[in-house]
Amino acid sequence: MKHKRKFMFEMIRGLAAIVIAIAVAFVLILLSSDSPGTALECLLIRPVFSGGSLNVKSIWAILGRMTPIIFTGLGVCVMFSANQFNLAGEGTTMLGGFIGGLIAIYIPMSAGLHPAVCILAGAVVGGLAMLIPAIIKVKLNASEMVCSLMLNYVIMYIILHFLNNTFADRSKGATQTYPFLETAKVTKLIPGTELTWGFLAAIAATAVIAVFMFRTRWGYAIRMIGINESFSKYSGMKVGAVIIASQVIGGLLSGMGGAIEALGRYNTFLWKELPGYGWTGMTVAILAKNNPIMVPFAALFIAYLNRGCELMSIYAGVPSEMIDIIQAVIFLFFAAEQFMAKTRQKIVVKDAKEDMREKQLAAEGGNA
Amino acid sequence: MFEQLISMVFTTSFGYSIIRITSPILFAALAAVVAEKAGVSNIGLEGIMGISALFGVLFAYRTNNWLVGVLGALVVGAFLGLIMGFFALKLKTDIILAGIAINLMGGGGTIFLLYLFTGLKGNTASLTTPAMLTPRINIPLIQDIPVLGPILSGHSILTYVAFLLVLLVWVLLYKTATGLQIRAVGENPNAADSVGVSVLKIQYIALAISGALSGLGGAYMSMYYSQSWNTGIIAGRGFIALAAQAMGQGEPVGAMLSSLLFGFASALGNKMEGMPGFSSYLVAAIPYAVTIIGLVLYAAATIKRIKKTRK
Repeated sequence: MKHKRKFMFEMIRGLAAIVIAIAVAFVLILLSSDSPGTALECLLIRPVFSGGSLNVKSIWAILGRMTPIIFTGLGVCVMFSANQFNLAGEGTTMLGGFIGGLIAIYIPMSAGLHPAVCILAGAVVGGLAMLIPAIIKVKLNASEMVCSLMLNYVIMYIILHFLNNTFADRSKGATQTYPFLETAKVTKLIPGTELTWGFLAAIAATAVIAVFMFRTRWGYAIRMIGINESFSKYSGMKVGAVIIASQVIGGLLSGMGGAIEALGRYNTFLWKELPGYGWTGMTVAILAKNNPIMVPFAALFIAYLNRGCELMSIYAGVPSEMIDIIQAVIFLFFAAEQFMAKTRQKIVVKDAKEDMREKQLAAEGGNA
Repeated sequence: MFEQLISMVFTTSFGYSIIRITSPILFAALAAVVAEKAGVSNIGLEGIMGISALFGVLFAYRTNNWLVGVLGALVVGAFLGLIMGFFALKLKTDIILAGIAINLMGGGGTIFLLYLFTGLKGNTASLTTPAMLTPRINIPLIQDIPVLGPILSGHSILTYVAFLLVLLVWVLLYKTATGLQIRAVGENPNAADSVGVSVLKIQYIALAISGALSGLGGAYMSMYYSQSWNTGIIAGRGFIALAAQAMGQGEPVGAMLSSLLFGFASALGNKMEGMPGFSSYLVAAIPYAVTIIGLVLYAAATIKRIKKTRK
């Protein structure tokens, strides 16, 4: 198949998946809302335009929401590229936020250094946590998937234990820690909005991971192992080490995202359940087809829909959880290799015929 | 404190609660066994349980009849299994990803569906009537046996179905033609195909059975265990079931034993929760931690065995 046509086909296929998802959303809205018109407007238009002008505040909010899911999305990209179905992005995000938060509360530092240390610590702890499923996978060949799923819950309950019994601010009605020190906060990129410096960090991380995956030996090894593990082993790659590395990098990224989100968006640590960014990161990675460069775009799309669903629940009474159904539908069709396979078949046949004709012409030209 | 714990463990009520907690995990673990035998990993168990738990309650509410609810949950579960099959087998979505999508649907999606059908947000506690809950069964004769009686008798009818299903799934897999085909497809799809077994058909069947079994697990949760449906009702039981399948070496009886182990860990956790000096949160982590430890021990044992046979 010719490159350009293949690319076009992939684009159309992706769009078709999105159109199906939006169509499902339409049906659900028609069923659940008394004012479907308003609901649709909220979902599709109001995140950007409201009352005839640009909804600037909402746009910054969308960009702000992208931050954590870019990080988890990148992490999933790296792990899925190596064919490691590690699903502990949830737990490591929460853990990164918690550890980053503790340092932000208890260890005073100068303003510039403080958030950096918190975020780094969050990342390191996230990476260390991923060592558990990774090492168990490599040394004992036990499913990293089951292990990472269990790990999410173990991490969550351990954090809840410390949050409730050790670090809780008893003067508050709700369970939360003492406030973060001012020096530790990830400051706003634009004052008065939800957009923090974390967004730029996320874009930078995207660039770093893209270079890592496409321009370094380790990145190449990760992708090769994902394509064919046996071949990689016999061609002399240290498969075990690379598999562990891919999962640790995944943990580093989600831990980092968790810390940035906690310090950028809140004044104290108050997550009482898994934050959900890990799962959303998976949708992002699927949309991006495990290509780090596409992650911010996929994250933008999801953040936009998320914002739309939120507005819809405020103004049209449709529960914002509809986003999960839309995500699931996109997920299923996007990852479906055989979705629109007949069209692809037609393109392949057409290409082959053209090739043959060209060759024939060339051969006739040579004879003449 | 240790003595206190021991004295708590050696009570009939403790034995009773192990069985009560094990039941939903057992349904899902059997679901995992059937799917895995056919060579498809059904990680959507968690989501299927949540969705069918909700539909079970809704069906039971409409008819004010628990049996309709249970059957409804079973059918919805089987249907979801087939949907997973459609995407994984026909459209070639990676089966793991199809499972994750179903789980997404089971998370926030169910909250939306609940609102869509009833206008309620978050839980169905206000709908529950006694006729909607699966009845407890006192087994004649057995209930009069000292010690064993109070442990084994007086459970939900679904609990007995679950343990009966261990036998039925074993019979299905090892004593029927379909079971032979399921195992053949799981072990070597090409070989099965070459002798005329329709691999796709068998995998669809396995996923439908798997979905139906997890549907029953969901029904147990919402129509007995929690007495209503709420967000997060499944709380990782579908995932624990996957681990139970792995630890049980993919066999029905093995899956039952490992489900009982998790039941034991949870029941112990519940007992410890009330005692001073134990954090309820750390206790809640125990079943999940036990799962990881169990997985590690099992994997280590397997590797040792392989090394031995090589020598």
